[in-house]
Amino acid sequence: MRLSVFFLLLFVAQTFATVTYSQQTRLTLKMQDAKVIDVLSKIEDESEFFFLFNQKLVDVERQVNVDVKNESIDKILSRIFENTNVSYLVKDRQIILTTANPEMGVIQQQKTVSGKVTDSTGAGLPGVSIIVKGTTTGTISDPNGNYKLSNIPEDATLQFSFVGMKRKDIVVGGKTNINVILAEETIGIDEVVAIGYGTVKKSDLTGSVAIVKAERLSTIPVASIGEALQGQAAGVQIISSGVPGTDPTFSIRGIGTINENRPLYVIDGIPVSMGLNQLNMNDVESIQILKDASATAIYGSRGANGVIIITTKRGKAGQGQLNFNYYSGFQEATKVVKELNASQFAVLHNEIMGNAGLTKNPAFANPESLGAGTDWLDALYRTASMKNYSFSYSGNHEKTNYYVSGNVFDQEGIVINTGFTRYTIQLNTDTKISERIRFGNNLTLEHDLKKSGNYNIQNTMLALPTQPIFRSEGSYSGPLGQPIWNGDIVNPIGLAKTVENSTKGYNLLGSVYGEVEIIEALKFRSSLGLQANFGDDRIWSPAYKWDASIDESSSLYHQSGKSITWLWDNTLTYDKNFGINHHLTLMAGTSAQENRYDFINGSSENFQSDETQQLSNATNILTLNGNGAEWSLMSYIGRANYNYADKYLLTATIRRDGSSRFGEGNRWGWFPSGSFAWRISKEKFFENIHFMDDLKLRIGYGVTGNQEIGNYSFASVLETYQYNFNGKPVSAIVPNVMPNPNVQWENQKQANIGIDLSFLKNRVNLTVDGYVKNTEKMLVPMSVPVTSGYSDQDVSYTNAGKLRNRGLEISAQTRNLTGAFIWNTSFNVSLNQNKIISLNDSIPISRGRLGENYNLVLLQAGQPVNEFYGFVTDGIFQTQKEVDDHATQVAGNDQYNRTSAGDVRFKDLNNDGVIDDKDRTFIGNPSPKCFFAMTNTFAYKGFDLSIFLQGIVGNKIVNANRIWSEAMSVAQNQTTETLKRWTGEGTSNTVPRAIYNDPNNNERFSDRYIESGSYLRIKNVTFGYTFPEMLIKKINSSKIRIYVSVQNLQTFSKYKGFDPEVAQDGIDNNLYPVARTISCGVNLNF
Amino acid sequence: MKINKYISVILLTVLFFSCSEDFLVKAPMDSVNTANFWQTESDAIAAINGAYQPLQSYRLYNLRMWCSDIFAGNSIVGAAGGSDGIETQNLANFVTATDNQGVLDMWRGPWPGILRCNLVLKNVPGMNLDENIKKRILGEAYFLRAHYYFILVQYFGDIPLITEPQNPNDNLLVPRISKDEVYKQIISDFENAIDLLPSAREYSGTDIGRASKGSAEGMLAKVFLTLSSLNAENNWQRVVDLCNSVASLGHTLNPDYANNFDPLNKNTAESLFEIQYSGSTTYDFGSYENQASYVSTFIGPRGANMVAGGYGWNQPTQEFVNAYEVGDLRKDKTILYDGCPPFDGKEYSSSYSISGFNLRKFLVPKSIASAYNNNPSNFPVLRYADVLLMKAEALNELGKSSQAENALNEVRARAGLGSVIGLSKDNFREKVLHERRMELAFEGQRWFDLIRINKGQYAIDFLHSIGKSNMNQKFLLLPIPQMEIDKNPNLSQNPGY
Repeated sequence: MRLSVFFLLLFVAQTFATVTYSQQTRLTLKMQDAKVIDVLSKIEDESEFFFLFNQKLVDVERQVNVDVKNESIDKILSRIFENTNVSYLVKDRQIILTTANPEMGVIQQQKTVSGKVTDSTGAGLPGVSIIVKGTTTGTISDPNGNYKLSNIPEDATLQFSFVGMKRKDIVVGGKTNINVILAEETIGIDEVVAIGYGTVKKSDLTGSVAIVKAERLSTIPVASIGEALQGQAAGVQIISSGVPGTDPTFSIRGIGTINENRPLYVIDGIPVSMGLNQLNMNDVESIQILKDASATAIYGSRGANGVIIITTKRGKAGQGQLNFNYYSGFQEATKVVKELNASQFAVLHNEIMGNAGLTKNPAFANPESLGAGTDWLDALYRTASMKNYSFSYSGNHEKTNYYVSGNVFDQEGIVINTGFTRYTIQLNTDTKISERIRFGNNLTLEHDLKKSGNYNIQNTMLALPTQPIFRSEGSYSGPLGQPIWNGDIVNPIGLAKTVENSTKGYNLLGSVYGEVEIIEALKFRSSLGLQANFGDDRIWSPAYKWDASIDESSSLYHQSGKSITWLWDNTLTYDKNFGINHHLTLMAGTSAQENRYDFINGSSENFQSDETQQLSNATNILTLNGNGAEWSLMSYIGRANYNYADKYLLTATIRRDGSSRFGEGNRWGWFPSGSFAWRISKEKFFENIHFMDDLKLRIGYGVTGNQEIGNYSFASVLETYQYNFNGKPVSAIVPNVMPNPNVQWENQKQANIGIDLSFLKNRVNLTVDGYVKNTEKMLVPMSVPVTSGYSDQDVSYTNAGKLRNRGLEISAQTRNLTGAFIWNTSFNVSLNQNKIISLNDSIPISRGRLGENYNLVLLQAGQPVNEFYGFVTDGIFQTQKEVDDHATQVAGNDQYNRTSAGDVRFKDLNNDGVIDDKDRTFIGNPSPKCFFAMTNTFAYKGFDLSIFLQGIVGNKIVNANRIWSEAMSVAQNQTTETLKRWTGEGTSNTVPRAIYNDPNNNERFSDRYIESGSYLRIKNVTFGYTFPEMLIKKINSSKIRIYVSVQNLQTFSKYKGFDPEVAQDGIDNNLYPVARTISCGVNLNF
Repeated sequence: MKINKYISVILLTVLFFSCSEDFLVKAPMDSVNTANFWQTESDAIAAINGAYQPLQSYRLYNLRMWCSDIFAGNSIVGAAGGSDGIETQNLANFVTATDNQGVLDMWRGPWPGILRCNLVLKNVPGMNLDENIKKRILGEAYFLRAHYYFILVQYFGDIPLITEPQNPNDNLLVPRISKDEVYKQIISDFENAIDLLPSAREYSGTDIGRASKGSAEGMLAKVFLTLSSLNAENNWQRVVDLCNSVASLGHTLNPDYANNFDPLNKNTAESLFEIQYSGSTTYDFGSYENQASYVSTFIGPRGANMVAGGYGWNQPTQEFVNAYEVGDLRKDKTILYDGCPPFDGKEYSSSYSISGFNLRKFLVPKSIASAYNNNPSNFPVLRYADVLLMKAEALNELGKSSQAENALNEVRARAGLGSVIGLSKDNFREKVLHERRMELAFEGQRWFDLIRINKGQYAIDFLHSIGKSNMNQKFLLLPIPQMEIDKNPNLSQNPGY
């Protein structure tokens, strides 16, 4: 250890070809009766010099007088150490103080050794310390990596060490020339990893934890660190929402529950409910994703969906660092669905009416004359800008380290009148009062403004191309005349442009901690955290009169909400080595957390003027609401880590949680876990296996919980509503939800087995994990038939479900090319299968309600979660005979209201001669079989290039927009897919006929809308250039990098909708599509 | 020393948390704990008020009940066509499937009301209340429960019959039982209600509009009328007696037909039961609890700007309009047609409608309902005119033709029509049905009349006669929604679905 801070040099022969810093620099100092140590620090402050010496050998308490003007360092030092045994060596900025060794002259039989120290690429390593083992004799290598040591004994062992490289010991023997290649330390092996209520060395991990360094992510042009995490860790599926300011959804190791599946976010030790988009990505130091139960069980009842631990940056000892990042770019839709033009639509509409025996629209008598018409989608989308500015300053002052930063992020949405702007300030400090007492804080202040607009992508697709956006006088148009001819969609562009819909967030996340070392190895830490979120939602809808679409009064909705959470954690940690081989860490603690949420909202209409947009300026109060809710959680936590010789590693955790969300007698739950790791590579027998550098086997098992079922599921309550008699309101008390006072924790038991290995001199690092995750006592909505009189919508939960996820994760990092041209690859692939083992009384649960008549999803024992459930199509009836020969679909004597040729043929799965609900079956699984990501980074001289590919395989999407945009049954525009429609025998076997009102119910939910969701995407390409240090030194900068980054560059997919990256449930209904972003940026460090 | 200080801090921390159980007790802030309820008179009244509330929902009288006139052939959906109102369109085209949203609403609508009645009937008898209040509340509960079951049994036939509130541990998967059993319960409930309820005249203030003795007698008359025509049971005399009893309570026809739909003049002497709306917008349309009536919003001519809203639903057919006798005063008060008197100063044009007609009966001018969601009109469920027509029908079946003529002619006189005299029994029955169609048009009565006469053959014949060739026996009952069968496999389906 001490070796890193002191050097003894006996014989030195160093020359520098160029004029060095030491020769150039002139200093002025005036100090009376100062200690040597103070003079030295003064020099360090005034210049870039720094001193290396051993305090035991050099007397720095001695007092000296210094009074020099514009002197070289050489002169100054010679004055300070006049008449002492201290000699000094100036190597550029580094000054080494030594004392003469009186034993020197006695050593016999000595020789001189020289050589070169290089890295694995062959480049010389300057500044490597070379020490004769067991002595204080040594030297350091010159700028080219060459070294020379004289007068050393033959049996000496040389130790070569350099920060970031593995130490190497070489016996001199008879050699006079020893060339050494130092290998880099295995990436991050001694990194410290946050695991909740403590940290461990990465090499000591026993559970499955993915570690992501944030540095790379901060230049990706996205609003949230969550989005930037996509593809960075195996087993973690992240789906971005295109909506500006909306967090992506995470699922860790598949869908673990049919309920809330969101992982727990822990930011700087505080479990939070806020979105990750409230953080400035540049403030994030690292992210740990706890995946298996042995890692997450420390979070007990909230660990079942995985835990994402985010650590923000802190000040470090050393010179202050100013950092500035900026990028600017633009976004556009990745793909826009093609719609019919006006004349194509008129032809279609005439067919719709004609086939139903209805009168055609006279305005469509000559479709050709209508031309292209209006492209509504084109008017809704735009090319949108994105800008990000952030700066930070970090450093230390005396006993305090600090980090301060500011950030402005400004994004327009690709849909008009949408966008997201965010301002953040971060302040983190750590202060060491004494060797035993530390305290510090984290503080994030954030304000954001989200413009949600009033867009409706589906209505924009369905608006008629025959209708202009504007009437000639400049006001928006509305459909005119009969809706069966001209539709009834209120001008979607008019709504999008006139309605103002915004959400403002004011968020604070802060904590203070104090830490005391009570006795050697025993630390007490207490931290108090506060999360305060204030939201302000506002929708202003001005009155309009667009032809027949009329809204006579302007209206305003305004909501104000606040959520305050406090947290108090106390932990005692005992961390001690016993002998050389035993290391034990014990932690015990308590945690209490409480939240209260309140809101009030109101809406009013009939404004005197559109300029007075405040609730009180309206004459008619529409609604006035307010409510509050609370929850609290009380926990006891314990963990033991035992390490035997870095070979055998044991971790055991336990947490007891009490939650207010469960009724009396059910509030408390135990959540234990245990895991074991074996560093096989540390075993004796492994010493001869040279191709493998590290091999670790991990096994773990744990129990975690989920409590996300709302605050009061257990409570038997009556709700207060209204009725009225004779025009006067009277209160009405009604039972709404059938209570289940016995509702209990959802339990998840997970077993994990994993291997970490690195081989070929650490060029390949590989981690493989396999797991089985059994969710038991899963909270399923009680199956309450409506005949009970209780709500069929709001039902309480019962612990009656079982779900299983099984999966495999592989991640690899390889260094393919090293040297001047560097090529690194990281790759991960995740496979997961889930299956519902049982539900409540084996009664299936319908989900995914869409529009009026569709439930797209059925949860049923034996099937994967969220599988689509519907009819199976079998082509198109070509003739009436085919209709008659097939099972009855829609019967009747009315030729316009029954199944006819041109209609979709549905399979009679139960062979009862009738097509009805019993002919539905499972028609697609929205969960991918596999998802993967690969990043290739290349560097050559100052240039760097990274190419990030990402994709998913084997999932299905319901392209629900098509239910309407290919229905061909009313006056609504359709996609160009309908140009392939059936118009007579043999014309189509995929797209049915057009007919008003769709008598055969062709649009019923069937496999017609199920599409493959697999895609491969060039998610990000970044090309950067870092200016050479020589050049930027002149402006005192330590790093300048400029780059171009493209997000969502290209997608390979068969999907017919806008973009295949749709929500986790796989239902693409009126979704805001993901955008492509092209940006340029610069990073500056001073 | 120092160490002791640290240890005491830790000890204090531990002490703080050792008394933490209270910290975990949280109760909802916006609702009443069931354990503390059923104590006071105001509890009991609030509970029975809750039992009325499902009537206001779109699942019943705020949409689905009056939509039945569309599939009864009086009108077409209108609206924007296509998927707007597709469920009603499918009902009207007799291609109804088991996933029909309208049917789902009609199935789901009554059950919360039945539960709330069951809770009152279970808890109120044991409460220490003023006897008159207690009797009234129990009477209201019997009336409402019977009314909800009557709706269900007419639409769906056999249904589960649940007369006790259910708990999670009870068997919730209740099968259907014969509709005869259900009718027995309905009759018994209405009879109890008649015994317990005060007459409408005895109500005052914010009690006006509650179910009264007259409401129960009128509804029970309707039950017997239905059973008599369906099962050829001879309950005609009971119908007559109940109708006479209603008259003796002081119910009469209003002088003007339009008085019955006047938002400013609710709960009139003619009214036996109506759904109360205040026009308050606190609850929205989709929330199942509406304080505002949406009927004007739905039926207002589309694009005409005559009323707030204006979705153009429920457009009367040419056949219906032609059915008015010359000089029928009700025509101008019920429908809008080219050349009709202006509404609220605005001229009507047939171009607003697909059929060429719109409905006028429930339209409310903007001076009263300024927005689509603040209409205070009540919706009529049972009127004295209906009672007179029931009486006429029953007397005719009993062969008392002159008394029957008197009852019928009382209704016709107000409509400005001449008296009917000397028709044969069959022709008179037809005449009464026609009169019911015109008098009660769009009030949600026509479908129930169609399916009871001649055991439903009347419905099939009539609907065929207006071109609804898909109509057959199967459609006399609505399907049990598949979604409900999925939840309760013990529910059987109606034949043919």
